[in-house]
Amino acid sequence: MAKKILTVDDDPDIIAFVKTVLEENGYAPIIARNGEAGLAMVRQEKPALVILDVLMPKQSGIRMYREMRYDEELKNIPVVVLSGIAKRTFLRSQEALTEFGDQPVPEPDAYIEKPVEPEELAEVIKKFVS
Amino acid sequence: MMKTNEMKKMLFVTQFEELWFDALESLMDLRKAGFNHVVFLHIIERDKVAMRRGKGYLKDEEVRLREMANVRFIDWAENLFEQGMEVGAYIVVGNVLPKIISTAKEEGVDLIVTGRHRRPKLEELYAGSETLELLRRTSTPVLIHKYMLPSGKINEKPFERPLLALDWSDASENAVKYLLGFAGVIKKVVAIHVASEKLFKSDSSMEIQAIRKDNRQKLDAVCDRFRDVGIDAESHLYVGATCEQIEKAAQEREATMIVGGTTGSKPLKEIFLGSTARKLAERSSFPTLLIPATAKSEES
Repeated sequence: MAKKILTVDDDPDIIAFVKTVLEENGYAPIIARNGEAGLAMVRQEKPALVILDVLMPKQSGIRMYREMRYDEELKNIPVVVLSGIAKRTFLRSQEALTEFGDQPVPEPDAYIEKPVEPEELAEVIKKFVS
Repeated sequence: MMKTNEMKKMLFVTQFEELWFDALESLMDLRKAGFNHVVFLHIIERDKVAMRRGKGYLKDEEVRLREMANVRFIDWAENLFEQGMEVGAYIVVGNVLPKIISTAKEEGVDLIVTGRHRRPKLEELYAGSETLELLRRTSTPVLIHKYMLPSGKINEKPFERPLLALDWSDASENAVKYLLGFAGVIKKVVAIHVASEKLFKSDSSMEIQAIRKDNRQKLDAVCDRFRDVGIDAESHLYVGATCEQIEKAAQEREATMIVGGTTGSKPLKEIFLGSTARKLAERSSFPTLLIPATAKSEES
């Protein structure tokens, strides 16, 4: 059975692009359009990997990532951040939240700044989902 | 599992003509009042991409406008994320007012920040009847943020010294309650009441003095409530045309913004919502915070 990969992004063009890449590589794509819906879906579906945008309505990828890493059941699911937001910003944001008293979280498994080529995305996914 | 702290959200509406990042930065002091989530909203007005004879829907133009907005929002968001803020963004096609209302509702925001347009058409959309319409249709406080004239610069701390205009209605009581939640942000509230000249036409000076005394006592009682939560306050009584006197008071008391309550439902019956709110929104050189009577407050 094809492994489920969750894409969390509010941009319909990116969703269509990632969905195509996933299907062409034999995965089963599932979609959420913001961090809040993404977290609910990751809890429900337990995907093999999450491809996560950062700047989204309702809840950002930064918060969703944090909540995943705090959750015993979800913390080992690999996360590939795919975003226009720079990696430096993502990491500084996590540092700032830690300074405000939250527990530190590890870096995401991979970070790709948009845009991404289909081959590059497929290659990164393969690293984590055999 | 980690529990996310309750967030206070601000909806920052910009068409990239009336409000820029410096306007947003000026509101970062609100973090002291618990605001830690900013939601950007840019509305691509429908007529910019609408069907044109021989061209159809201007999809390319929509993509271009979306990407321009996206580039700006990413830059702004990076700045806020790095400060530990939570940030969201909407770039939508549609009509301004319904999109502001639907986004505010969807996100459950605690404050809507919008601008005042200088161009006649957009001015009509934002600061004219559309502003009043927005207030009637939302229970969320609305800040009409402005670049101060004549400097053209944004006030760096608009909440530092607000002028609170009181007419003793339920709406202005709600404005008091709302501002009480900003301890740590507001340094001093300037509370004023504008008495109508008509009240001073009595033959009896005793009667006039009684009116003055009554209003002063009410103002002092409001100031005491602010002092109780650690916000300094001063009170002043003005006489004359409401809107002109509020503007004058804001200037001579060096206020950083004007605050008032609005009823939302019966605009003509309330002093602040009718012509006063509209005039202040349209014409005042000060940022104007209008608080619907139904708004959530710290005391309620």
